[in-house]
Order: sequence, then C-alpha cells, then structure tokens
Amino acid sequence: MSGERHAAAGVTTPVAATFGGKAGQAWRLMRPLLLRYRWRLTVGLAALIGVDFLQLLVPRLVKRAVDALAAGTASGPLLPRLAGAIVGLALLIALCRFVWRSLILGFSRLVERDIREWLFSHLLTLDRVFFGRHTVGATMALATNDLTAVQLAAGMGVVAAVDAVVMTIAAFGFMLYIHPLLALLTLAPMPLLALITKVLSAKVHQRFHKVQEQFSRMTEFARSTFSFIQLYKAFTQEAAQAARFGRMGEEYVRDNLRLATVQGVLFPASGLVGHISLLIVVFYGGRLTIAGAITTGDFVAFIAYLLMLTWPMMALGWVFNLFQRGVIALDRIGAVLAARPALPAPAADGSIVLAGTIGLRGLSFTYPGQRQPALREVGVEFGQGITGIVGRTGAGKSTLCQLIARLYPVADGTLFVDGRDVNTLAVAAVRERIAYVPQEVTVFSDTIARNIALGDPAASQSAIERVARTAAIHEEILAMPQGYQTRVGEKGVKLSGGQRQRLALARALLLDRPVLLIDDGLAAVDLETEQRIVLALRDHLAGRTCLIVSHRLAPLQYVDRILVFEGGRLVAAGKHAELLTQNRFYATIYAFQRMEEAGEGPGHAAA
Amino acid sequence: MQPHDFGYFEEGHLASGREIRLWRRLLAFAGPYWPWVLVAVLLSFAVTGATLAVPYLVRLAVDRYIVNSALPVPDRLNGLLAMAGLFAAVAAGGFIVNFCQVKVLERTGQSIMQQVRQRLFSHLLRLDSAFFQNQPTGKLVTRVTNDIQNLHEMFTSVIVTVFNDALTLLGILAMLFWLNWRLALLLLLLLPLLLLHTLWFSRLARDVFRAIRTGLARINAFLQESLSGVTVLQLFGREAETRTRFAAVNEAYLADTLRQIRIFGVFMPAVDFLNALGIAGVIWFGGGEIMAGRMSIGVLVAFLSYLRLFFQPLRELSQKSSVIQSALASAERIFELLDRGSAMPVPALPRPNAVFQGAIAFEGVTFGYEPGKTVLREITFAAAPGETIALVGATGSGKSTVINLLERFYDPERGAVRIDGIDLRELAPEAIRKQIGLVMQEVFVVPGTLRDNILLGRELDDATLARVIDGAQLRGVIAQLPGGLDARIGEGGLGLAAGQQQLLAFARVLARDPRILVLDEATANIDSETEIMIDRAIAATMAGRTSIVIAHRLSTVRRAHRIIVLDHGRIVEQGSHRELLALGGFYAHLHALQFNNGTGGTRKQEEDLNP
Repeated sequence: MSGERHAAAGVTTPVAATFGGKAGQAWRLMRPLLLRYRWRLTVGLAALIGVDFLQLLVPRLVKRAVDALAAGTASGPLLPRLAGAIVGLALLIALCRFVWRSLILGFSRLVERDIREWLFSHLLTLDRVFFGRHTVGATMALATNDLTAVQLAAGMGVVAAVDAVVMTIAAFGFMLYIHPLLALLTLAPMPLLALITKVLSAKVHQRFHKVQEQFSRMTEFARSTFSFIQLYKAFTQEAAQAARFGRMGEEYVRDNLRLATVQGVLFPASGLVGHISLLIVVFYGGRLTIAGAITTGDFVAFIAYLLMLTWPMMALGWVFNLFQRGVIALDRIGAVLAARPALPAPAADGSIVLAGTIGLRGLSFTYPGQRQPALREVGVEFGQGITGIVGRTGAGKSTLCQLIARLYPVADGTLFVDGRDVNTLAVAAVRERIAYVPQEVTVFSDTIARNIALGDPAASQSAIERVARTAAIHEEILAMPQGYQTRVGEKGVKLSGGQRQRLALARALLLDRPVLLIDDGLAAVDLETEQRIVLALRDHLAGRTCLIVSHRLAPLQYVDRILVFEGGRLVAAGKHAELLTQNRFYATIYAFQRMEEAGEGPGHAAA
Repeated sequence: MQPHDFGYFEEGHLASGREIRLWRRLLAFAGPYWPWVLVAVLLSFAVTGATLAVPYLVRLAVDRYIVNSALPVPDRLNGLLAMAGLFAAVAAGGFIVNFCQVKVLERTGQSIMQQVRQRLFSHLLRLDSAFFQNQPTGKLVTRVTNDIQNLHEMFTSVIVTVFNDALTLLGILAMLFWLNWRLALLLLLLLPLLLLHTLWFSRLARDVFRAIRTGLARINAFLQESLSGVTVLQLFGREAETRTRFAAVNEAYLADTLRQIRIFGVFMPAVDFLNALGIAGVIWFGGGEIMAGRMSIGVLVAFLSYLRLFFQPLRELSQKSSVIQSALASAERIFELLDRGSAMPVPALPRPNAVFQGAIAFEGVTFGYEPGKTVLREITFAAAPGETIALVGATGSGKSTVINLLERFYDPERGAVRIDGIDLRELAPEAIRKQIGLVMQEVFVVPGTLRDNILLGRELDDATLARVIDGAQLRGVIAQLPGGLDARIGEGGLGLAAGQQQLLAFARVLARDPRILVLDEATANIDSETEIMIDRAIAATMAGRTSIVIAHRLSTVRRAHRIIVLDHGRIVEQGSHRELLALGGFYAHLHALQFNNGTGGTRKQEEDLNP
C-alpha cells in the first residue's frame, strides 16, 4: 500500500529491511537517491576533484617565479605572464568550486527533501499501533534532527571525504616518489588516528544522545509548565517549578561537559597525529638529508606535501563522525519506513459499495502491550438507526468504536461490514463509509469553516451551516469575532471542550457517510444540549447506522437500542424502558445520574 | 497567510541598529564568568602559539642542523634529536592546551546559558496571566530551549575564536607593513573589495538564513499538528491532500536552502579568487621590487604565507556570521521577554501575611479581559467564613472569571475583591494563592512520586498525610499503584486516570489546609464509581472552609449555602436551592427541564448512593 503511495508521490520506495547492519540499511535508503541524482553527483564530484588538482598547479607557478627571481632571470614579460596565469587559474578554480557547491551541497538538500517526503507520506499510512509506540515528538525529531545529520553527511561529509581521499593520494604519491620508506613511516601514525576516531566517535554519539534526551525532557517540562501556568501559580509553585527546571538544566550542563570531554580529546587528536608524522619527517628525513640520501629540496618538498595532508587528516575524523551520525540517522529513519500498518491491506476492490451494516462475531481484542483483553467475545449486529452504548470506564465501549473505525487490527472472521470480513476489504474502503467522532478532538490551526469542512474542503457554506446546526454549535460560531471565518487552534480562538466536540460532530456529519460513530464524543457537552443533539440526529441520520457511546444515560432514552457493556463483554441490550426494568446496573446508574446531573443544567444551559 | 499553515507564524525581524545594545547585554551575562572567559582567551592564545611554534621549530631544525654543513655530522644528529624532543613537547603541550580550551569553553558557555535559561524561566513564571493569555505555548518553550541553545553556540564556538582571528589579522597587517610597506599598500587595495564583498554576503546570508529558520519551524509546526491529528486525517481520508500541502512546505524550504548554497557558492570561491589576486600581485609587483633590488626573496615567500594566513580567518568569519546572526535574533527575542514586566501591580509594601479567616467579598466588581469586552458587571456578593457558594450559569457567563479575580490572576477594572476585608490589590498574589486551595478540571503532575505530588514541597507528618489521603479518597488508588505512595507518576512514570487526578487535586488542597477552597467541578469522563469517590472527597475538602464552587452536580448545589446564578456577567439570582426553586426564575426553569417528574421520590435513592 505504501509502495503505491510513494510511487504516486513520484519517489521510489526504499525497501528497508530489518536485517543487516546499520550501514546496509543506510545504503538501501540512499541507493535510489544516488541513482536518481547520479548526473548531478558525477559532474559535482568531477568539479571537486578538478579543484583539488588545479590547486596543486598554483604553487608550481609560484615556484617558477621564485626560481626565476633567484636566478635573476625574471625580466621582461615573465612575471606579468605568470601573474596572469595565476589569475586565470584562479577564475577556473572559482568556477569549479561554484559548480561542486551547487551540485553536491544541492544534492544533500534534495536528499533531505526526498527522505522527508517519504517519511511523512509513510507516516500518514501508519496506524494507532505505531503511534502508540512512538510519540509525535520522537517522530518529528526524525524528520528534522536526524535528517539534518543525513544532510550534513551527504553534503559537507562527501566533500570532505573526497577532498581527503584525493589530496591524500596525490600527496602520498609525491612522497612515495621521493622516498618510499620515509613516506611509509610518515603515514604510519594514520591507522592510530583511525582507531582513536572510531573508539571516541562511538562515545561521542552515545553522550550526544544523552544530551539530546535531556534537552527534550526540558522542552517537555517547559511546555507542560507554560500550558498549565495558572494552576502552577495557584499552587504558588513558581519557585519550586523553577528549581525543578534548574535541576534539569544542571543535569543538562553535566551531560554536555561529559560530551565535551570526549570531543576535547577527539578533535585535537587528529592534529596531534599530524604532528607526530611531521616529527618523523623532521627527525628521520632530517637524518636522511644529513646522510645525503635525499636532497634538501626533497626534504622541503616532503614537508610541503605533509602540510597538504593536514587538512585531509583533520577532515577524516570529522568526516567519520558526520558519516556515523548520518548512518545512525538513516537507520532510525529506515526503521520507521520499514514499519508496516498492523492492519491488513488487501488490494482495493473498487467494485464494492458498502451500505453500512456492521456485524461482530465473537470479537475479542487486546491492546498491544496489555494482558487484559479490552473486548471479549462480542457478537452483535448494527443496522439502520441509533444504537447507544453504555458502561463503566474500561468496559470496552471506546475500543468497540475504534475497531469498527479500523484503527486497530482485528482477527479474521470477527468483524464484518455488509457481511464481508473487514480483513478482506481495503481499510480506506471501510473508512470511507464511516464518520467518526473521537473523544479527544483534534482542531487544526485554521478557520472554523475549514475545520468543519475537513473531509470535504469543497463543501458549501450552507452545507457547513446545516451540520453545525445539527451539532448545536451554529449559534456559538456566529457569536465569534469572525463567525465561521474565526481562526481556531494554536494561534486562534481557544474552543472549550464542548465546542471542540460539537465541532468534531459537525465535521463528521458533513461527510454524510452511512455509518456514524460517536465515541464518547459528547462527554464535554452539557446534558440538555446532548439531548437536543441526539434528537436532531434522529432526523438527520434517517436510514443510516449510528453508534453513540455515552457516560450519561438520559440522552439515550431517545435512541432505538442501547447496549450495556461490562468488563469487555456485552451484558445487556434493549430499549431504554426495557433496560430500566430488566437491568439492575442500568437502572441504578440512571437513577444516580438523574440526581447528579441536575446541578449541571443551569451550568451549561445556553452552551 | 496560507490556509492550513498548521500553527506556525514567526514574529517580526530583528531590527537593525540595535545590535550594539544587544551585544552589551549579552556580554553582561558573561560578566560573572569573566575569569573563565579570560582563561579561555589565554588558552586560545596558547593553542595558536603552539600551532605557530611547530613550523618555526621545523625551520630551526632545517637551518641549524639539517642543511648546516658547517657543523660536524654527530653534532648535527644530536642537535636534530634535541629539536625533535622539543617538537614532541610542543605538540603534546598543544594537545593538552587544546583539550583544556574545549572543556573551559564548554563549561563557561554552559554555565552562562544555564544562568540565562534559569533567569528567563523564573521570569516567565512571574509574569501575569494576561501575558500567558496571548502567548502560544510553543513560542515560550522555544525561548527557553532553542533560543538559549543558539546563544550557547555563539558563546562557545564564536566569540573566543572571532576575538583571536581579529587579533591575528591585525598582527599580519602590521607584519606586512613592516616587511615592505609599498607592497603592503598595494595589497591593501584588496581590502575594501574584500570588506564590501563580506558585507554584501553577510546581508544576503542573514536573509536567507532567516528564511531557512522560518521554513524549518514551519515544517515542525506542520508535522506537530498533522502527526498529532493523524488518526483524524486518516479517518477523513485527507492523506493525499495533507501530503500535497506538506510537499509544498518542504519544497519552499528546499528552495531557500538551495538559495543559501548559491550565495555561499559565490562568496567562498570569490574570497579564494581575491586571495589568488593577492598572490598574483605579490609575484608581479613584488617580483619587480626584487628585480629592482628593494626586496629579498625571503620577504616575498613570507608575504605569500602571510597572505594565506590572512584569508583563512576571513573565510571563517563570514561562516560564523550566520551563527552570530541566529544568536542575535534569539537574544533579541529573549531580551524582549526579560524586559516585559508583570502588568499586575504588586504593592511596594504588601501587608504582612495574616492567616485568612476566609470572609470573601466582591464589591461592585466589573472586569473584562480585553478593553471594551466586559465579562463581569457590577458583581457584588459576600461569603462568611465557612460558607459554601455555588456559581451556576452558562458557558461564558463569567464563572471562571470570578475565580480568576479571587486568585488575583487579574485585578478588577472597577470595584474590589476583598478577603477578610482587605483589598486583594494590597496583597502579593503569592500570599493570596498560598491561602486558597484550588481544584480545577485540569490537574498538573510534577515529575516525582505520588507523595511529592500531594505535598508539592510541603512537609507533613505521617498521621496528617494519612488523614489527607483518606479525605481525598486516595487510599484505594495508592493500593493499586506499584510502590504505593512512592510510585513515580507523570512523565517516565505511571499515568493517572482523569478521576484519580481529580482525587490528587483534592489531596493537594487538604495537605495545604487553606481557609478558602475554589472548586471547578469536573464534568466529564468519570465513571459513576469514581464519581462517588469524588463526591466524598468534595465533602471532606469543603468541610470547615469557605468554598466557591462552579457546580455541576445536584449534591454540590444542595450543599451550598447560597447559589449565585450568573448570566452574561451579571448576577441574576441568588439564594439557596430551595429558595431559588420557590422563586420560579431562571434556576427553577432549568431545574424543571431536567426534573419534570419532580424530585421528591428520588431523594431517598440519592442518599442511598451517597452514604
């Protein structure tokens, strides 16, 4: 399923496997991208290598000038010609540099864009089972922090690596040409550098991870403090809360210092190894020169080449780090891309049209990571009309709605839509027939009208108003500063819990689908309004299937049938009047609630 | 603004011309740490010194021993060995100094940032409610986390090195003039070009950098909102549309990053090109000087190496400018918050903290959150110590506002709120809040154990704590929690159900034992058994306290000595449950709507359910 979606987005899907090392995972992700941008990369790398070689020419021109000056033959047009050649060469180098910067660094940004798009597209296909295990914050970090690591590795990492390799080969070649043994001895400390880098990089990464974790802990702490600021103030927790934050900050400082300790060794280490090489050249090369085995000119040239190696060597440690972080990041991203929806995805069968009868046969369900089943052996049919569902917290009412809405996978042969096992139907095909009002409402930062029209952005104003009336929120919307065009969400008007729920109901009604699930979605609405809504729904939903989960029984006296759940089991079914006389639990709760809710009426009367 | 930009907006740009002021304030933060900063600067001199000493030692080794054929060979070999020893010592020393520098910089930078962060966080917590009303939470969080991080980046990686680079540049210039002022003057012609180029670049880089920052924030906001609501998007079949919208945000970000690459792609090679122009100038003009006998070849070689040293920091300087720009923008935003005072006037000499008796009086209180939008009008009522007042009324009728004024989250526009006859404006807000117990529908959890969460910093002996737990009906909850009272709750610990959180809120009030209770009863999502527990907890918490309750249940309303019915910010009825029913007004009307069968027969039943 996700494959089709990626293809639709114009991007090939990387098949991320669960086996193999992290580098293997990274390679599988990167391969299609390397192929996709192969021309850009080829030309860019050619320009980069070109710069490296052209740079080697400049000192040669300078050397010719110095030699001529020393010999006193630098008369006439020689100096201007050499100066001109240097300027010309410099222009060429500048051009090549512009080319590689545009192409290779551009490549890294294109990679970033592509992977972010894959990732987001893929995340949209994942279900509750995935999002139950991964927080939004952690998932977001993948699309930002981890992708930055990938981008750095694919951009400056590649450049530094190529520079290092080309310069090392060129310089080492010259050195070998002068004196093979000296050259080998000079490069002898290099494996040491590789070893130090490898060991310490692992430590750096591990400590960096701790730093990041503490950082996100502080972020979350600050977020919750500011979100509930009035409560903290009411409990005069300002100082205590600041002290708690301070302790987290100190921990963060300590984590950073621990990281700095490793980094403080790692970064100068490459310089130190370079110096050891230089020491070998000066000492052993010096002895060779004194013994006459190499000329003074050779000796000076040798040092010059070694100096040329300094940057690549320093870059090497850095490159290693960049690549390692990039690989780890790719591995993490790959793991998410490899995650598959827990729901089966049979090929969409476009021919079927579902009317909306729902059948449950021995449906049991246990949430991932839990031992107690949330639903046990539930068997019931839902047809046209409104069914109310009641029961204590944890009785399985909400689970039932979520399973019908295909938010979690179910066993074969337990859940049927129009007599067809849902596992044989495409998830989207089932969902297209169902409108769902969850208890926790998501309001997007947008206007009220667009929030209601979420499922059908092209809906007319009159259609929007019609469902808003049924959801008993029309009047309140009109009372807002810009009516239906009022912005809500993070930067807009804050809606009350009841308003959010009624907005979600309006949103669901606008879809006009055969099945409507109200998953305790009116809990924050006052009793009188809930009753009004249920009555309005009876007219609005003629011929459709509707399930209403509610904690309150009074509004359910108007529905066609009521199911009572207890401990995940369906324990009673019937009309309000029947249950009142036949079911003790129902009767008791009803009596209790009638007393309890009296105080609420005035509290929300005009809501 | 685009539709569906999913929650992101960026505040105005950094005003130019204020940078010097910003710098001064930033450096003031480093003030207390000046010895460490000094050490860091000295260390960075030592690092540079060690780096520069190495080539010098090599030259000494070459000149004195390797090519000095005047010396006998054994002396040359011994001398070489000695130089090698010195060299090794300098290299090792350089390594150690380098390590120390990294550590010192990190410690200094982190300490400064910890101080700034703490100051900002504490400052924000002291600001008044009106401030928080208008601030998106995400923005404030960014200030205390990411913006501080930006500052840190600048403190550790830029300030010291920039200082050092500037010094090096000046030193090189002086050296060049000392060696050959004519050639130096010629090279100086490059300087305006270089400066102009760098300035032009910094401006472009800053703009594009800002665009990138905004773009990234927009991506973040989009991800935050769409991933939080991913189920809704899926249920409504909005995946394709959301994907398209995300692609647009992502694409805009790509365009900005590519623009940045182009800008750097022109700037960096151009600096190198200017460097090559310098080399060409030295060869041509310097060569002429040599031919004319006014300069030695050694000076020409020195000029060439200094030229290279001169351009290196300039390249880095401009790279660092983006770090600096980002830090300055962050600093500006941080200072903007730090400069914001609380709009809530605190008396210069607040009254000493007397223990409240609990007499509450609203006297002709008129108030609105925004000018021109009055929420409360001429509210007058009083509660004697120990009395319970129930507030009822529609959403928006002003019930919560009454609580906000009593807690002194806001001050009234007209009229006065008094406790024990003292106008709240004469008291510090903390002094008031310490003596009011508040139970709201939402409950916060601090990181720590259930015990920490009940006590919130208070000390109670075991017997008192046991009474608190019993009163708040938490005994059963504690029995279920692994670890009981010492179970960790909240982030990284156990989650409490909504009903259990309510009970925790009552326990907090009981632990503080204030004379006044403010209660906003929870409306939703609590099963009937927990309702009974909450009912008992309410009874225990109200006992002996002046209570102001936003009531949602009949039992609470009945318990109240007086019910105040609010409508559009006015008190429309006032009296006991029975009186108001007899009055046959607003309250009675609503009551009748719910209880058209009459209440007589069911009262018995309720008492059975509420022993």
